[in-house]
Amino acid sequence: MGIFIEIIFRSLEYGSIYALAALSIILVYRTSNITNFAQGVLAMFNTYVVATAVNKYGIPIYGAVVIGIVSAIVVGILIDIIIIRNAKKVSPVGKQIITLGIMAIILGAAPFIFGYYDLSLPKFFPNGSLTIIGAQLSYNAIFNISLGVVIMLALFYVIQRTKWGLAIRTTASNEVTARLMGVPTKTVTMLSWAIAGALSVLAGTMTAPFSNVSLTFMNDVQIIALLACVLGGFQTFHGPVLGAYIISISLNLITFYMRVPDGTVWGKPLIYLLILLFLVVRPNGLIGKKLVKKV
Amino acid sequence: MKKLVKNSYFQFLLLALALLLIVPLASLGIIPSSIVVNIATVIIYGIAALGLNILLGFSGLISLGTAGFMGLGAYLSAYFTYQMNLPFEVSLILSILIPTLIGILIGFVSLKIEGLYLAIATLAVAEVFREIFIQFDFFTGGSSGAKAAYPKLFFGLLDLSKQPIVARSVTYCLIVFVLLVILFLSFNLLKGYIGRSFNAMRGSEHAAQAMGINILRYRIIAFAIATAFAALAGVLYVHIIRISYPTTWNMNLSLDMLAIIVIGGFRSLYGTFVGSFVVYGMSEIFLKKIDGISEYAYIIKGVLIILVILFYPGGIMQLFRDIRQKIRQLFKKDKEVIHEPVR
Repeated sequence: MGIFIEIIFRSLEYGSIYALAALSIILVYRTSNITNFAQGVLAMFNTYVVATAVNKYGIPIYGAVVIGIVSAIVVGILIDIIIIRNAKKVSPVGKQIITLGIMAIILGAAPFIFGYYDLSLPKFFPNGSLTIIGAQLSYNAIFNISLGVVIMLALFYVIQRTKWGLAIRTTASNEVTARLMGVPTKTVTMLSWAIAGALSVLAGTMTAPFSNVSLTFMNDVQIIALLACVLGGFQTFHGPVLGAYIISISLNLITFYMRVPDGTVWGKPLIYLLILLFLVVRPNGLIGKKLVKKV
Repeated sequence: MKKLVKNSYFQFLLLALALLLIVPLASLGIIPSSIVVNIATVIIYGIAALGLNILLGFSGLISLGTAGFMGLGAYLSAYFTYQMNLPFEVSLILSILIPTLIGILIGFVSLKIEGLYLAIATLAVAEVFREIFIQFDFFTGGSSGAKAAYPKLFFGLLDLSKQPIVARSVTYCLIVFVLLVILFLSFNLLKGYIGRSFNAMRGSEHAAQAMGINILRYRIIAFAIATAFAALAGVLYVHIIRISYPTTWNMNLSLDMLAIIVIGGFRSLYGTFVGSFVVYGMSEIFLKKIDGISEYAYIIKGVLIILVILFYPGGIMQLFRDIRQKIRQLFKKDKEVIHEPVR
């Protein structure tokens, strides 16, 4: 029983990371109609900022995260102003490929700015743990889980209840009409790139203690975040979050309960295949609605 | 004479001969011999990208799983030739056939899963393959990689394992020959009924259906071609590089394939290979020679992708076409502008 609860808590911790990354993808997708394949690389870049602040300048992790968020917002706004605004007339596929270009630029630039070595990043709470119903739960895990939940609740509150949220939702539903109605869609898109950057740097800072900060350390997170978007459906903001937690829980359960004696790990391929099968049954995801195509 | 030069088949032959010229040049020491492998990789990635171009450019279906299928072809061929000692020709057919069958399966599914969902679904397929490459170590060698040898052609009659440099040149010639076959095949395919059906399908599926085109059949054909080309590229890769690591076949490679066809130009046979040269050849062959620029190769690639998409959606081939038209206009001022058909 203790092990089961421990797995659930670990899944919730990973789930927060995946959910933050998925939210940052869906936010950009809904407002500027771009699948942001550069999300993982952007998270990597800004997490490097955090790690450099901690390792080189000795800034405590809390301060460094704030620096990282500021840098993520600046980078997000720059990308929007320099590239995305000029890509209004580009085809949907072309827009996705632009994010691949951004990805290549950041991958090329990061070693110049931060050096060629992997950096390590401490946890928010280095030690200490609680025992709940026989399950060990570190303070850091509790912090990560609650940080994820708090941020997501705050974001959903903003999206559903405030005027800016209304602007985001109208831009998401139809950009041209929103602009005609006086919604400052340019600012909304810029804001969503900034928020997406901030969300992904948080996801990166939460992931970093499990591995090192390297050029590729966010790749797996990004792939799972994209799958979470597919599983939850691209039409809503809460679908991908739900998808992220479902993937995380089932991934950890399958990896633990179906482990093979010789040490091979079949969790990930199995989950991917299950999601593919699910997609065949429900092509628009869990909460997705079918878009009516007009001839 | 002019008619002959305009003939596409003749142009393909000329291109192949020009590419073959590199072998004697390299063995005489006029150009560095590492260029042989560089050009070979450009051709190999070009073949995989051509498959994706047929899928995305002609039939409008997106796939982000190219790397997975390339890897599958590479590992299968390495396993068949190195572990099971099958002749190269048999292994080639088998290692293209198996991924193609999986591609056909995706073609069936693509009727239900569409657009962005299809893109990420194919990405997931590629990730499943990558996990298999890492975990299935009796078949793939795990993270230490799968070994393969230069192919022994003609069912093992041409055994050059004692002379690695000759064997490498022979493998290079084989790759150029495959390129020639692929160019002939795709040219005929795309000019014919199938190519026109693809075009109709991309324009409007409903209109295509109304004209009597079976959407399912042509989606399956498009996916089969794309995966077959990707697997073929993987087989050629593993036999000239002679080792395959799971890390090679990651998401970035699939994204590079997309970058190749964007930079080169959608729906362009030559453009695909020009794009492949820009993405893979340029930094290896030219930029590495110049100090201080080689580190910027990634950044240059990224900037180029964005610039092409923003300002020149037709890719580099469109640039060539425009330049040619400008020159023609200079000489024939009084005649009307000739619009070349998109190739």
